[in-house]
Amino acid sequence: MTAWFVILLAGLGSYLFRISMIVLTDRIALPAKLEQASAFVAPAAFAALAATGIAAASVRASDVAHAIPLLAAVAVAILAVHVTGRSYVAVLAGMPTLWLLSLAVGT
Amino acid sequence: MSAVSTSVVQRAGGGEYAAGARAMVPWLAGVVPFGLVIGVSAARADIPALAGWFTGPLIYAGSAQVATIEMLHAGAAPAVIVATALIINLRLVLYSGAIAAKWRGTPRWWRATAAYLLVDPSFVVGVDGYERHGDRGAGHRHYLGGALLLWVAWLAAIGIGITLGAQLPAVLRLELIIPLYLVGEVVGKLGDRATRRAAITASVVAAAALAAPMHLGVLLAIIGGLLAALTVKGRSR
Repeated sequence: MTAWFVILLAGLGSYLFRISMIVLTDRIALPAKLEQASAFVAPAAFAALAATGIAAASVRASDVAHAIPLLAAVAVAILAVHVTGRSYVAVLAGMPTLWLLSLAVGT
Repeated sequence: MSAVSTSVVQRAGGGEYAAGARAMVPWLAGVVPFGLVIGVSAARADIPALAGWFTGPLIYAGSAQVATIEMLHAGAAPAVIVATALIINLRLVLYSGAIAAKWRGTPRWWRATAAYLLVDPSFVVGVDGYERHGDRGAGHRHYLGGALLLWVAWLAAIGIGITLGAQLPAVLRLELIIPLYLVGEVVGKLGDRATRRAAITASVVAAAALAAPMHLGVLLAIIGGLLAALTVKGRSR
């Protein structure tokens, strides 16, 4: 019973967060600074989520040698996007690099 | 699907729904394994399996669902669990603010539904869709196409995880597809100086705040990135 109650409350709160600014910006105009800032939410959020995932996986690695395949995969992904100008090649270049180097260092 | 309903979908902009769904596909490679893992952990936790599955449609955000399931299993106080889940999901307010302008003027039921589907991948695919399509209606269809596919895949993955208690091939390290995908998205948009500063600051703060309690690191990083971008915007160049 407690589990259902907790999940329902967390769900209700999450929905209120999702709808909050959509309802509020209909009634009150957001300050210009906030409107300006919202243009950068996406790049900041993507970078934050990416860095969190990569840093967490690197920290989980047992030693430096085991973190190298991941960091090299990220470097290859950045280079591939920079060279081709296409975002999706990050995964196409990064994952095989990760697999090959992981095999090489025996993880 | 019958010929009649197919033509209705096409008239209603089926192409944009499909484009949104296609844009969601790279996310599914990382999101579906995560959903499976959440399903397995829900099945093993000391809560009703159905309640574990319902974290999907009710909370609909992976990290907050994991926190809720793990803390319920550990017997944490209900208020602490709810507070933790909501702090993790605070970023949804920022996503809500970022996408609100695009949804202005749409029917209330549409906004209520679209907001329910708002989470990291649907936000990314949605913002990209509005940038790609000049027409806002096409952007709406692009968003819904991606968001609905994500919703179905997410709930199915959790259900399969709960039912089968499946074990993932950990050697593939599929959890790293999403970070790499995001790296690609960010690197592709670094031309603008303010965007570059937002991304670099957010990355540094996120990595530095990795050990921050309650997944606060991502929220702090987003705020740090925004502040950094605004310092550039404030200058007359």
